[in-house]
Amino acid sequence: MKKVNYTFSTKLTFDNYVYNHSFALRCIPPECEVQHIISCQLDISPFVPTMQTVDAFGNNVTSGYLKSEHRFLDFEISGSAEINSAAERTDFMPCYAYQSKYTKPDDALRSFYAEHKPFCLSEDVFERTAYFSGKLSEVMKYEKNVTDTKTTAAEAFALKKGVCQDFTHIMLSILRMDCIPCRYIAGLACCDGETHSWLELWNGKSWIGYDPTNNCPVSDDYLILSQGRDFEDCAIDRGVMFGAYTKQLQLISSYLTLA
Amino acid sequence: MTEALFNQMTAAPVANADEINELLRRYGVKFGIYKNGTFKEQLFPFDPIPRIITAEHFREIEKGLIQRVDALNMFLYDIYHEKNIIKDGIVPEDFVYISSGYLPQCEGITPPNKIYSHISGIDLVEGKDGEWYILEDNLRIPSGASYPLIAREFTRVASPKAFSQNNIVDNRNYAKLLKDTLDYSNCGGINAILTPGRYNAAYFEHSYLAEMTDSVLVQNDELFVEDNILYQKTYSGGKTKIGALYRRISDEYLDPLTFEPSSLIGIPNLMEAYRSGNVAVINAPGNGVADDKGIYYFVPKMISYYLGEKAILKNAPTYLPFYDEDKEYVLENIGKLVIKDVAEAGGYGVVFGSELSPEQLEAFRNTIINEPRRFIAQKVIDFCDLPIIDNGETVMRKADLRAFVLSGETTRVWASGLTRFSRNPDSFVVNSSQGGGFKDTWVLSR
Repeated sequence: MKKVNYTFSTKLTFDNYVYNHSFALRCIPPECEVQHIISCQLDISPFVPTMQTVDAFGNNVTSGYLKSEHRFLDFEISGSAEINSAAERTDFMPCYAYQSKYTKPDDALRSFYAEHKPFCLSEDVFERTAYFSGKLSEVMKYEKNVTDTKTTAAEAFALKKGVCQDFTHIMLSILRMDCIPCRYIAGLACCDGETHSWLELWNGKSWIGYDPTNNCPVSDDYLILSQGRDFEDCAIDRGVMFGAYTKQLQLISSYLTLA
Repeated sequence: MTEALFNQMTAAPVANADEINELLRRYGVKFGIYKNGTFKEQLFPFDPIPRIITAEHFREIEKGLIQRVDALNMFLYDIYHEKNIIKDGIVPEDFVYISSGYLPQCEGITPPNKIYSHISGIDLVEGKDGEWYILEDNLRIPSGASYPLIAREFTRVASPKAFSQNNIVDNRNYAKLLKDTLDYSNCGGINAILTPGRYNAAYFEHSYLAEMTDSVLVQNDELFVEDNILYQKTYSGGKTKIGALYRRISDEYLDPLTFEPSSLIGIPNLMEAYRSGNVAVINAPGNGVADDKGIYYFVPKMISYYLGEKAILKNAPTYLPFYDEDKEYVLENIGKLVIKDVAEAGGYGVVFGSELSPEQLEAFRNTIINEPRRFIAQKVIDFCDLPIIDNGETVMRKADLRAFVLSGETTRVWASGLTRFSRNPDSFVVNSSQGGGFKDTWVLSR
């Protein structure tokens, strides 16, 4: 068990004034077996009233509507939490067993899976995950700026390059082909200046965390912000706004440090 | 169909059919279709010979439809909550979770009064054996109620005698039925009908129903969600709360912050307002899982599971290649079956085995072997032809009936419906998007 302090901030700057801006944030870490949230402060600027709901996947959703013209939207969460990654999470949903929008395999992914499956001899779902993740990390290279938030597992696998989101999507695709239910996690990890993503696999009774980007199990250095079938369910911020120029610059910084 | 009924139908063609078609044209009673990338509006030809359903037949159909729609609503509540029908092994889970109509985003949300399908369009045909068969359930955004409504209105003008000489149940109560349905689920505020706009195939219907039910007709750019409440902007710069939104756009475009992010016709954060119980979304998002062509097979089982009753209305004999024994039957008898792609609607993706060449049949068999979950196969029902007038002559054509079932405080069947017929003598496909016509449906009062 570890106690951590966390901060996550996003600065959205628009090229010109925007208005009628609706947003939904999934950035307040959920209270659950593996993490006890001691404190959490959310600041949004410019000031806007917000509402809190919990979505079907168990995410805290902060929604708001900025009617008047503005050129930026900043939000920051900070607080402290106690993390115990050995505890068991049990909130299952059947949809996690099925491929979703970002994880649908193409022929290349299917043949990668078919090629390695005969040599994956363990029946333990965690060991199977570690095996496939090891094989993936032999062919996939971590590289920024070659993929974006719209890149699917099949597209990233074709490039053999990508970031944590891509590693996670590819592994979700492989595990679902292997009939192991699994879900996407967006969150913060120690030593990472941005948001991180990893996965949880279902062992029939509870969830086990695994980080395909670093090819290692999840430890107490990981704080969950949101979860779902893939990136689309977990997007930390989604928004719709009006304006002549809605092009935006997004700056993200995050810290997760031992308390 | 009895000879007496046939005689009554053909004796009853409403006079002045040309005038009625002219009125329909003048009032813009059209539907739009996209073909080869361009949008075209087409008239929906009206045939003067009414379909007549006897009071006795209608009572039976009515009981069967109420039973079916009640079971479908119970199924939907179950699927998005406890999932007992899956746990009890009645419906295999794959059929539910692979369905494009199943939306995990709706898990755990309870719509007002637990109603998921408020307006259901159930397609039936009358078999030559005199039995009515269910062809498919349409629970998402079934359209078509406005056509018989307005045709009846024009018939009253152009051919008033038809109604004094026959005992016909008045169908003008559809507006009241619909309004009652909206009011019953309304969470406080006005009723609104959300249309994607005038390029939608059913735009005429959206505007007509709004007028008939005293609802406002809205597009997304005049709506917004603030504090998880759905509002319409007013001309004076104020806002009006919407308590029930009869939306005529598909689930995936409904809220770009929950569903398809690129949707330009949705309302951001509508799902948060809905989840918070501040607005009823009619029909409820996610209800497409129950009208999936694969789930259709299980509806009689649902009726006995939830209601402990035997299904009154029969399904067409259906085979699921998903089950090995059914797959064998389908592969062997494909030439005699009609195969439907579960993901398609509007008469698309329907293939008659008898129309395929030996090579096409072989290719299709392979497609079924590779993707058994994608298809259902049905015996071609020998359904009744109805008389229509084609170039002054009475000829017989295939026809179906879309019945409208409204679920509010009670479940009610509108004593009318949309009878669509195929203009092509060899075709079984009656969908309006495939060039068919329609006729009035008279339910006799005695």
